[in-house]
Amino acid sequence: MSYVHPDYLVDTEWVAAYLEDPNVRIIESDEDPLLYSMGHIPGAVQVDWFSTLQHPVRRDFLTKEQFEEVASNLGITPDTTVVFYGDKSNWFACYALWLFQYYGHQNVKILNGGRAKWEQEGRPLVKDIPSYEKTSYRAKEPDESIRAFRGEVLTHTTSKKPLVDVRSPKEYSGELISMPNYPQEGAQRGGHIPGAVSIPWSLAVHEADSTFKTAEELRALYEGKGIRPEDEIIAYCRIGERSSLTWFVLKYLLGYPNVKNYDGSWTEWGNLVDAPIER
Amino acid sequence: MPLPPKLQEIVDDFASMSREEKIETLVAYAESLPPLPDWLREEREKMDPVPECMTPVFLFGEEQPDGGVRFHFDIPPQSPTVRGLASILANGLNGSKPEEILSVPADFFTPMRLEEAITHQRINGFIGVLAHMKQGAVKLLQNKS
Repeated sequence: MSYVHPDYLVDTEWVAAYLEDPNVRIIESDEDPLLYSMGHIPGAVQVDWFSTLQHPVRRDFLTKEQFEEVASNLGITPDTTVVFYGDKSNWFACYALWLFQYYGHQNVKILNGGRAKWEQEGRPLVKDIPSYEKTSYRAKEPDESIRAFRGEVLTHTTSKKPLVDVRSPKEYSGELISMPNYPQEGAQRGGHIPGAVSIPWSLAVHEADSTFKTAEELRALYEGKGIRPEDEIIAYCRIGERSSLTWFVLKYLLGYPNVKNYDGSWTEWGNLVDAPIER
Repeated sequence: MPLPPKLQEIVDDFASMSREEKIETLVAYAESLPPLPDWLREEREKMDPVPECMTPVFLFGEEQPDGGVRFHFDIPPQSPTVRGLASILANGLNGSKPEEILSVPADFFTPMRLEEAITHQRINGFIGVLAHMKQGAVKLLQNKS
């Protein structure tokens, strides 16, 4: 058994072979954005989940027009194959991919293993910042089929549809409101959305080189917890980055058709007055 | 009490930098953070963890013959931002007396306008690292009394 949509995943060898291809744009998206400046894949550009992809004022992503500006500055056209990679097992690479899909960009891929694997293999990292001729990118209307807002999440939990909580076990239990060793800020209450099953994101990747586990292992992991292909599924974490990795796994590696990422996640739910919480 | 002169100099430098210069300078600081000395690598249990940081950060304050403090850090290369911030503090405070370290205000970095280059959550790493450097300084003072 292989991944259901293997086109969404490439390996380091593929990226190394396509470094010079003008129809391929490689984008680094990290938790620690300084990593790009320390050295990146030759020809790669950078997006930062906070300073590039977030709306400058509201708590939201870029508007469609702002996204068009970002994509144009990166020299991307709707036909460009965009390959994302990053640190932390590709959390923010998946997050950026998810946003590109939200605005209708079709040809997107994740570099399996991300920055960690590229580095482990001793492949080149450079400091030169490339520039590409500006395009006039036209985005599509947002694809709401991959993004869940709080109202829908409330309906989902009350109608007992499946939710996947991808945070660490102590965040799920309510003992912590952020990851272990991270600042414990961002939410007034701890716990999880009622009915959500705990499947930490990390179970989907190999710890050694950050690559994804096999289709068999992934299917056993999610189906073993009652998350099946025919379900309507919402995944969440603390701010939506770890759950975009799980979203990517379910949607493209396992081919589940109806999966949404709730990017408001615990920093929204754990602060909402009147929202149901289970501990 | 004014900031130790070296730290003041770094703060003033950053205050006048563009966003790009701030990033380049942070990278340079991250790259120049010295590796742990061998003696400390062998006695790593002496080091204090800094749990406020998103990455595993360990530090140790070593007393110098003249009473100044020299800080050693162990921070993984995968976390250049925290390495850069710790390196700024080490450059700005190494050699200072424990009393001088304790007098550094927790918001000393505000004029650096680092928020132009990195997110607030990461800048908070500064507060955590500085707080633990102060704890190191307190330990040295207690050992004396």
